[in-house]
Amino acid sequence: MDTPDQAGGAFGFDGTWREYAPIAFTNLLLTIVTLGIYRFWATTRSRRYLWSRTRFIDDRLEWTGTGKELFLGFLMVLLILGLPFLFLQFGVQALAMRGMGGMAAILGVAAFVVIFYFGGVARFRALRYRLGRTYWHGIRGGSNDNGFGYGISYMWKNLVGMMAFYLLVPWAMISLWNERWNKMSFGPHLFECDAKVAPVFKRFLLFYLAPFLILIMMFFVAGAVGGFFGGIGVRTSYPPAIAVLVMVVAVIGIYVLLGLIALAYYSAFLREGIGSLRLAGLKFDFEANTDDWLKLFFGDVLLVVCTLGIGLIFLQYRHWKFFITHMEAYGEIDLDELTQSTTTLSKHGEGLLDALDVGAF
Amino acid sequence: MINIQVWHYDGRNANKWQPQLFGDSHGFRLIGDGWEAGPYSWADLQALDNAGSDRVFGHQYEPGWRIGFAGEIPADVAALLPQRQRYGGFIDRIGLWRASAVLACVAALVVFIGVKAPGWIAPFVPQSWEDNMGDAMVGDFGGRYCHTKDGDAALKALTAKLDPEGHARSIEVANIRMVNAIALPGRRIIIFTDLIEKAESPDEVAGVLGHELGHVEHRDTLTAMMRQLGLSVILGGMDGTGGSQINALLGLSFSREAEHQADLTALDKMKAANISPTGTAAFFRRMDKSLWGTSEDGKGKKAEDKVQGEQIRDLTSWFASHPSSKSRYELFENAAVKGHEYAPALTPAQWDALRGMCVDDRDVKSDFGFGF
Ligand SMILES: [Zn+2]
Repeated sequence: MDTPDQAGGAFGFDGTWREYAPIAFTNLLLTIVTLGIYRFWATTRSRRYLWSRTRFIDDRLEWTGTGKELFLGFLMVLLILGLPFLFLQFGVQALAMRGMGGMAAILGVAAFVVIFYFGGVARFRALRYRLGRTYWHGIRGGSNDNGFGYGISYMWKNLVGMMAFYLLVPWAMISLWNERWNKMSFGPHLFECDAKVAPVFKRFLLFYLAPFLILIMMFFVAGAVGGFFGGIGVRTSYPPAIAVLVMVVAVIGIYVLLGLIALAYYSAFLREGIGSLRLAGLKFDFEANTDDWLKLFFGDVLLVVCTLGIGLIFLQYRHWKFFITHMEAYGEIDLDELTQSTTTLSKHGEGLLDALDVGAF
Repeated sequence: MINIQVWHYDGRNANKWQPQLFGDSHGFRLIGDGWEAGPYSWADLQALDNAGSDRVFGHQYEPGWRIGFAGEIPADVAALLPQRQRYGGFIDRIGLWRASAVLACVAALVVFIGVKAPGWIAPFVPQSWEDNMGDAMVGDFGGRYCHTKDGDAALKALTAKLDPEGHARSIEVANIRMVNAIALPGRRIIIFTDLIEKAESPDEVAGVLGHELGHVEHRDTLTAMMRQLGLSVILGGMDGTGGSQINALLGLSFSREAEHQADLTALDKMKAANISPTGTAAFFRRMDKSLWGTSEDGKGKKAEDKVQGEQIRDLTSWFASHPSSKSRYELFENAAVKGHEYAPALTPAQWDALRGMCVDDRDVKSDFGFGF
């Protein structure tokens, strides 16, 4: 029997910047000199380090994915999706050039639907891939589902979500989250997830405030640079330099504002999503509040700006550390019953779309 | 004889065992409290990431199987254990810096070949392949070609003068309001209607047409398309968004050398047709000035000049993709033989017919909705 109720919580991270820096810089160097091809091995090296410095209860995680399988998966995607799309694009534009706009539009929409579908499948398989390559106590996770059904759900739920002024987006996101996790497993145990929409919905409504805030901001801009606004002519005597400055500040302001709202929503979403996650006798929690997210966000911005972009290579480290330090787990897990996963692990480059490896969370 | 304490996961359940490892230089067994496992071969072990200070090894045929050594490993055992991979593959063998240098050279070579190879290969691509591909891409251009009886005759006359050998399969005027002309794949040239409008004499159009004929003869469009495709594959930048194909074609950039060669071809053709290059030089000078606000000597003028309304940077213009320089004007100016009697490229009546082609053609499709 192992219980997470020990000092420092169930999750811990003991990596350091100093250890990570040589990995990050050599990854950057090798990625540049290989024209980007090394990035698959770079991802793997970073993950191996981050996982190996992550403690769950009494032992560390282990990342067993390889750069080669990511690379082969990428080649397969290129061949199976990229090549047909090259021809499709060719066809669409040839039709458009002949003035057959209708046919071109239909083909274009069809292409979009296919991409949309595989985007959903890829999201599912990315999570499956990560669980399948993550070992703890010699046991791994996975899923027996191939994600093709999830791709269908992903399409229709997102479409429904967009109806009615996007009001159902939180429902779509929560329901897809549950659907995805309920098909994942670790060892012999299935994850169970029953996140609710209500706790995240209020935060989502903030997005509807944004247009009004932007409108107010634009009014001030109009005041500074002059111009017509809502039927009111606004004149200004400010010098052009200040007008331009106000413009720039306003545009950045709009982005920051939207970013902050997204952050507030996402923090509520992950709290609810992870907080509703269970595995056998374990219950998970994610305890980052909006302030923590703000610190992460502005920390990222400062880091990247102050290092003139070089800080970008440290973001993966920062985000993983943030994620792990705010993860919590309660309950007990029986080590005798935690037997090896019997889920299938495809040997050839982890199947087709694991390689897309879009953000799993 | 080796006898050492290890920790062990068997990969079947999550229990952590504390067996003794017994073995020799060939292999070993694990012996725990009432159980025994093995034999295992040292050669099947794989070095994994350290867990804290513990060295950890996996087994290449048994997923989840781990042994870990706490503390120092005796030298005789360490010699049997595999080394941990750092960067992977050959980089570990020859060292990071040497590998980086080698890879950088290979990368430079790949890019160099990626840029140059299309120019070497293009001449060997069967012309019929290129023609078929061009036709598949462009078709009838959505009915946007302008045709009138007199206009067609004028264009034919100009074509006969500049391209007597018929290198181009067709030369058309398209009802699209851009100051531009392009050589499409498959030996077709399109002159956009505003280019003819902005030109003050048929000689000026002849200069641009001669230049595009140069691109056709040198197969520059095919070269540029192959280069673009190749680079996008090398750099993995399959963005798939594409924009419209015509933008892609307009956006194809030829090398400086290819542009210079096209200018030389234009001059040859004009000389053979007894058309003066002075008009073309004046056209370049005039359009560049209105496009970039550059002064006579090619240097940029002060900012206030550029703010003037007519000097909007029209990036769809031929003069945006073919920026002129002093040497370019002079090339055309100096090519004119002093005192030589040149003939105008078209008679005034033909010139009028050419200029009116798109206005007078009642059937031509408008450029409305032309893909942007
Ligand atoms: Zn050119």
